[in-house]
Amino acid sequence: MSDPNLLVLASLAEGDKHGYAMMEDIRHFAGFRIGPGTLYGAITRLEQRGWIRPVKSADERRQPYTLTADGRRYLEEQLSGLNQIVRTGLKRLKHA
Amino acid sequence: MKRLAQWLARFYPRWWRSRYGEELDALFEDTNVTLLDLFGVVRSALEMRMSTTDSPRLLDMACRDLPHGYELESSVELARDDGSRTLVRYFCREIDLGDSYVTFSHTSRGSAPAETILVCGRKGEVDGDFRTDETEMFVLRGDGTIQRTEQTVKTWLKYQPMVDRMRDKFRSGLSAEDVMRQIRRASDNASWS
Repeated sequence: MSDPNLLVLASLAEGDKHGYAMMEDIRHFAGFRIGPGTLYGAITRLEQRGWIRPVKSADERRQPYTLTADGRRYLEEQLSGLNQIVRTGLKRLKHA
Repeated sequence: MKRLAQWLARFYPRWWRSRYGEELDALFEDTNVTLLDLFGVVRSALEMRMSTTDSPRLLDMACRDLPHGYELESSVELARDDGSRTLVRYFCREIDLGDSYVTFSHTSRGSAPAETILVCGRKGEVDGDFRTDETEMFVLRGDGTIQRTEQTVKTWLKYQPMVDRMRDKFRSGLSAEDVMRQIRRASDNASWS
């Protein structure tokens, strides 16, 4: 799974985070690093779609974001689909 | 490398820089910027330049039922690539009298003179999903001039049920943000159901 949109949503599913915290979190759970340009491209798209939104912060330059109800629903749908693919693939490999 | 990344960030469109520029700059300060990141910044800046920059932001919307019709008010903010914003206010009243209809709409865009449009239509023959109507349109301009046009218009009959469904959503107590999200999702799915 390398879709930056899903990685950002999955990171925010754990709690509100600013850009750097998302980068670090994604590096830990996905095993690779996404760059600042890629990250902010995803943040822009996700905010435009209403799946994340900024939350109040004392440091405006390190703006935290939170997952919206629509974003959570979208992430659940996408992960269920991926889960189905993973289970099917593993099952077929076992029988091959 | 950080300075180069900050310089490359100037390729983002102005609307994007005014919204996210400071945050991206802070991220450059917090992280080790790699050569690959520089390519990522350029790619992302190009993507943002190609994306719609004048996407409307719905500020307010209200819809009321009337005997034989409805009226709708809305305020929309348009953001342009140069960072400027225009407030568009819209009011519309639509009455269907069975064999004829009348639509009144009033639009103001920023500091430009407002425009009022009155359309009177007589319903005509139905052919499949279309109906051919005879309409008379009056455009009342801010400079005092009135333009009158008579037209034979083909009306797509599936349009009205789509409008009715959207009106039901407006009435269901959704916020302007929710409505905008639904419109965006509907246009993404190319379906208004």
